[in-house]
Amino acid sequence: MGDNAILATGAYLPLLRFDRTAAAKALRWSGLGGGQKGRRAVAAHDEDALTMAVEAARLATADAPAPGTIIFGSTSAPFTERAHGTLVGEALNLSPDIRSLDVAGCRRAGFAALLDRLGQSGRTSLVTTGERRPVKPGSSQELGWGDGAAAALVGPGEGLARLLGQASINRDLVDVYASAGRPAPYAAEERWVRDIAVAEILAPAIRTALAEAGVKPGDVTLAAVPDPVSGTYKAAAAACGLKAPNVCADIQAAAGDLGAALPLFGLALALERAAPGDVVLVAGFGSGCDVGVFRVTANPARPSAGPALAEGHGFDEYVRLLSLEGAVDLDWGPRSEADPKVPASVLWRGARAMHGFIGGICRKTGVVQFPKSRISVSPGSHEIDTQDDIRLVEVPARVVSITADRLNFSPDPPFHFGLIQFENGARVMMEMVDTGRTTPAVGDAMRMRFRIKAADRKRGFRTYFWKAAPLARPHLEA
Amino acid sequence: MASGIRDKVVILGMGCSEFGERWDCASEDLMVEAFAEAVRDAGIDPGEIEAAWLGSALDDVNVGNSALPLATALRLGPISVTRVENMCATGTEALRAATYAVAAGACDIALALGVEKLKDTGYGGLPLRTKGLANDLWMPYGSAPGGFAQLAGAYSARHGISAPDLKRAMAHVSWKSHQNGALNAKAHLRKAVSMETILEAPMIADPLGLFDCCGVSDGAACAIVTTPDIARGLGKSDLVSVKAVQVTGSHGWESQYGEWDGSYVRNTRLSAARAYAEAGVHDPRQSLGLVEVHDCFSVTELVTMEDLGLSAEGRATFDILDGRYDRGGAVPCQTDGGLKCFGHPVGASGLRMAYEVYSQLLGRAGDRQLGDINLGLTHNLGGAPFNSVAAVSILGRLGD
Repeated sequence: MGDNAILATGAYLPLLRFDRTAAAKALRWSGLGGGQKGRRAVAAHDEDALTMAVEAARLATADAPAPGTIIFGSTSAPFTERAHGTLVGEALNLSPDIRSLDVAGCRRAGFAALLDRLGQSGRTSLVTTGERRPVKPGSSQELGWGDGAAAALVGPGEGLARLLGQASINRDLVDVYASAGRPAPYAAEERWVRDIAVAEILAPAIRTALAEAGVKPGDVTLAAVPDPVSGTYKAAAAACGLKAPNVCADIQAAAGDLGAALPLFGLALALERAAPGDVVLVAGFGSGCDVGVFRVTANPARPSAGPALAEGHGFDEYVRLLSLEGAVDLDWGPRSEADPKVPASVLWRGARAMHGFIGGICRKTGVVQFPKSRISVSPGSHEIDTQDDIRLVEVPARVVSITADRLNFSPDPPFHFGLIQFENGARVMMEMVDTGRTTPAVGDAMRMRFRIKAADRKRGFRTYFWKAAPLARPHLEA
Repeated sequence: MASGIRDKVVILGMGCSEFGERWDCASEDLMVEAFAEAVRDAGIDPGEIEAAWLGSALDDVNVGNSALPLATALRLGPISVTRVENMCATGTEALRAATYAVAAGACDIALALGVEKLKDTGYGGLPLRTKGLANDLWMPYGSAPGGFAQLAGAYSARHGISAPDLKRAMAHVSWKSHQNGALNAKAHLRKAVSMETILEAPMIADPLGLFDCCGVSDGAACAIVTTPDIARGLGKSDLVSVKAVQVTGSHGWESQYGEWDGSYVRNTRLSAARAYAEAGVHDPRQSLGLVEVHDCFSVTELVTMEDLGLSAEGRATFDILDGRYDRGGAVPCQTDGGLKCFGHPVGASGLRMAYEVYSQLLGRAGDRQLGDINLGLTHNLGGAPFNSVAAVSILGRLGD
């Protein structure tokens, strides 16, 4: 199994949670919308698979050794030519000489990469996954799928869990597909999917993995198995003799099927809920499956999956959901026509400092500023090149001034922005996000979030930067 | 210590177009309208103008680059023409350039003209920027009201002013300007409005409602300046002179250095102090007969009253509500309606402010004419409080 262990996990959900029953109500006239209950995690207009994967990666790498490899996994990566692993590395301010790669192609891509890295002894790797998948309004996926991200850090050491056994089955079961010609999912008949997924894919792989691990089905404490359609895990568990509850069912009810991020989110949640010594079975599903059986050695120092599920801002406006999904293109008027084109040469000069939120600290005065400049902002300073790099992402920060700007175009108004004061002295005019439509007050504590800075819809490009969000999220009512 | 320009230059003539939604006019027509009035007022032949400065802020929706559109529209002949731009302080910047040229002896008669044609954008507010700059990688795309609205929360936090008190004072600022604008035939908005209408208006950028914001306008304003001796030689006796013009710009202190609390505009304070020194004004509360300030938003005017030293710190809210800056108050402010009602064709606004002070000093202000005044101040603010250009000029009777 190799010497590597799961060293840390991180799970991230966007702030917004849509009440599924509101869609059923809005769609009642059509007979669509089904009877789904619970909530769907909905990415903000400035979040994508990459930004959320960065947030999960931050959680997994906090207080941990820097990884030598970054793997980004998603079926909804924003670019087909621009490496997301590289962007994750820049956002985490990792050295540019590490290895990075993107994996894709099916929902189990990220978990398959994780199993692969667990077999690579001695090297610390970060696997981070994120999804924001396009869906058709009224489809079962619109409500059943959710947006989110999860990451795991793998490397030598005792860590949180060790792999005991694994198995893979590769079969072209097209329960759902998306393609260049059809970016939104096209799903097969659900009862057929369930029967084949259980009999031909999940149950055989689970049996093999348990046998390799030397673990009896009844000794599995928790499972994290995505349900491609409702009831799949239940049937597979019955077929294999598993008694363990499935944490993915909780995730899917509270946030939705997170695609490539679901197995890692499930792993993170299971490790938070399990006790040392417990056995956890995790599966990735899609074009076959991968199953891993883990022995828990410790709980995460800072849980993230449980809080991510429990906190958020609920909403029930179906048209807002459609707009956030990109399913309706509202006419926002001429103010939405600004052209945010950024020349590649400008991006090249500035992007690493932007992605890493790297400012400067003056060696002469200790003054911290963003962005860096040849001559420091320190009053009276005229010397050139006195600054060293300083990263602002994790520095405590507060609001100096703020407004809810309703004139400025925002795809999800209002547009909050203002001056942010960092504890180390840096001060930056910033956009503020995740406000739940409540304007933060002067003096409120804020945290940094990696977001899309500008979306150039005309050219299909986007730039990334950090935005300030309230430190705490509201608790969601059950 | 520089001696400054006090009384070295006088205004020979001024002109100002009607401001507003000038669907009938291009920028060139607006320039001609203001220029024709100024030339008549100056009593000179346009051929006597030796140098000209054009102020226009937004080249992509206005006349374009350079001052050649000015030279061409006015057929100025083969003289030096230069465009200046300093955001919303552009108009004063043009006046400063012409004034300095005359004061330096570089020319005898100079023209400063500001123009902006903003209503062809097809929507309210300032045009959107379209350039891809390095700052676009991180700086938020906030609107102008969004930038200024932030003064409110920071001001309340600093001075312990409640949000409702501040909102009422802000509403009074706009109420007063509507009262004045209704008396101005050239104003964009010539209608008085009630406090209730102002207070209940839709929110634009919290806590600024619709009536807390000036609109944008089409318009032009200009000044012809010369030396006192030349003016007297032309038979002028009642002369308005430039007592001071001062401009201060941000260098990152407000937005990048952690000292400023966001509740005031430092550049206004610096420009005002320098202008008072240059003009020999020791007590602005007593000396200034009127002020025309940059009321792009009501809260801007409120903090400007403190930044200019006209209200004590933390007291502007109450001074405003007491009517201190109303037309009948101790220091009348925006007697022409201000940006709020006269209008805000960006490049013209600084010169429009000077036009009102000049008109009041010469007793030409019609229904809104004040009593005996000797000194007036203009305050023209570009950018946003966290990254600004503040221009303060003082005009008065020559010799006073």
